[in-house]
Amino acid sequence: MAAREGYAQAGEYKSIDLLAVAAAREVTDGDVVFAGTGLPMLAIMLAQQKSAPNAVCIYEAGSIDGKPIDLPTSVGDARCATNATVAAGLTEAFYGQLHSGSVDLAFLGGAEVDKYGNVNTTVVGDYANPSKRFTGSGGNPDINSLARRTVFIMVQEKRRFKENVDYITSPGWWVKKWPEGKLVPKKEVYGKYFFGGVDAIITDMGVFRFDEDGIMYLDTVHPGFTAEQVKDNCGFELNISRVSGETLPPTYEELDLLYKVVDPEGIFLP
Amino acid sequence: MAQPKRISLQEAAGLIQNGDFITFSGFTIWRRPMALVYEMIRQGKKDLHLFEVNGGTHTEVLAGAGSVKIWESCWVGHELYGKLGESIAAGQIDKSIIVEDYSHAHVVARLLAGAYGLPFMPTACAMGTDILNPEYDMLKKAGLRDGSNPKIPTQKYTVAQDPFFGKGDILLMPAANPNWALVYASMAGDDGTLRMNAQTYTDAEAIKAADKVIVVAEEIVPASYLRSEPKMNIASGYEVDYIVEQPWAAHPTGSQGYYDTDGAFIKKFYAASKTKAGYDQWAEEWIFGVKDHAEYLEKLGVTKLESLRANSALGYSTRIKRGTR
Repeated sequence: MAAREGYAQAGEYKSIDLLAVAAAREVTDGDVVFAGTGLPMLAIMLAQQKSAPNAVCIYEAGSIDGKPIDLPTSVGDARCATNATVAAGLTEAFYGQLHSGSVDLAFLGGAEVDKYGNVNTTVVGDYANPSKRFTGSGGNPDINSLARRTVFIMVQEKRRFKENVDYITSPGWWVKKWPEGKLVPKKEVYGKYFFGGVDAIITDMGVFRFDEDGIMYLDTVHPGFTAEQVKDNCGFELNISRVSGETLPPTYEELDLLYKVVDPEGIFLP
Repeated sequence: MAQPKRISLQEAAGLIQNGDFITFSGFTIWRRPMALVYEMIRQGKKDLHLFEVNGGTHTEVLAGAGSVKIWESCWVGHELYGKLGESIAAGQIDKSIIVEDYSHAHVVARLLAGAYGLPFMPTACAMGTDILNPEYDMLKKAGLRDGSNPKIPTQKYTVAQDPFFGKGDILLMPAANPNWALVYASMAGDDGTLRMNAQTYTDAEAIKAADKVIVVAEEIVPASYLRSEPKMNIASGYEVDYIVEQPWAAHPTGSQGYYDTDGAFIKKFYAASKTKAGYDQWAEEWIFGVKDHAEYLEKLGVTKLESLRANSALGYSTRIKRGTR
């Protein structure tokens, strides 16, 4: 390949590429990363190729520190276990790795999010009389509950960024205390099991983080968008007063790694 | 030590009664006992109560056929090959299926408790979510938590205080002990010893939690072959009640070391499953239109099956086209 250096220009990459790249940049070398299916897989594999070769990847079906030769299509895929240290099962993944407090970073997806970082992947409408059902929780709330940091990778749409999600599948910074269901800080519900929480939401328009009160704000805007445009694509009153700048676009090296090494078959990157 | 009984797929499906409480081996679109699921539908099983660590294509095939009354789980879909579980969703919306949602770790906790003979298993996962909303306890709403069904706990969960180290609140999830574990195994010894290739998912837990176990094995091998490497095995023959030998029994789900997931087949099923008419037409072709699994495989054809066959070194196929390049 021709050695191209520096950052790709507008038109030379797709928004999905930037999603994967921005997520990969959240990984610190040596992190124990618990990743979901899809873009989270691209992000961790890109990070391992680029800047975090010692990051350990756990998938909930039971593979520990796999080094796939071919990109898995889901976390239960045979490919997840290639060159793994351990090919176990869900008891190991959820109790042995997650519940034991070993997970530094969770990479997950979601259908809807609210300003507290609560994510819904279960239903639209009242749960007892829903108008639409998504896949359901899967391991999303578990991994997000007990990881030190969670990064969600999502599509930005006004209807997906809500004041309150219809159903809290996965906990943000303000969660429900049962049996009353009053919104309280996550720490109040998790007590000694509070290890951290949602650190970033990365969409096709920007990167969002959470302030001291656990409320989402816009941190960086992707090239080609303005903070106002992001705000217009948000269903709640988004704080854009803390924008720190523009998201760095993918480098040519990152794009080459994504398309030639991580996903050469075009599974998640068509 | 009782050894499992060798039976046919038809006999295996015949053991399952309408209304039975069932769990499965596998993970989403991997190692599901599809051949047995198809045969259960041919035999018209109804009102099944499924307890699943996660759902997948097999769930949707059963739900589309109208075989499912209660679904307790946390996820259903076809991974990359179909983003939703259309029939479970339709059943939840029109209330023909009682759906009880948990988190993945909650369902694992329930199965672990059942497997280990404990009344409950603690977990701190998914606290503060609507999964624990008392208003959303659908089995309670249906009047099924009155203690009359010994397989349905009287509460969905409870919260306890750590009595030893002062770590505070933790969830207790009640044990699940289904009537049946329907298990697809990579290999079964002729004494019933079981081996699963690669990730073990929650297969051993499902086997231990269930009252009775039916194994559909890709192949039956001499026990001595499995016993020469005991650490590779997940269960002993005495834990298994019935064994069926059926090659390609997991198709269209994948089986590490034998064949890959048939994504194209699942995609077509998913598209069909979006309407009742579509499902019925699909079932007529692939379930009722063939008399058994041998005919099903005949219909798939050698070319298709060969494209799915796993590379002996890698354990998955290198010949199927998975993406756009």
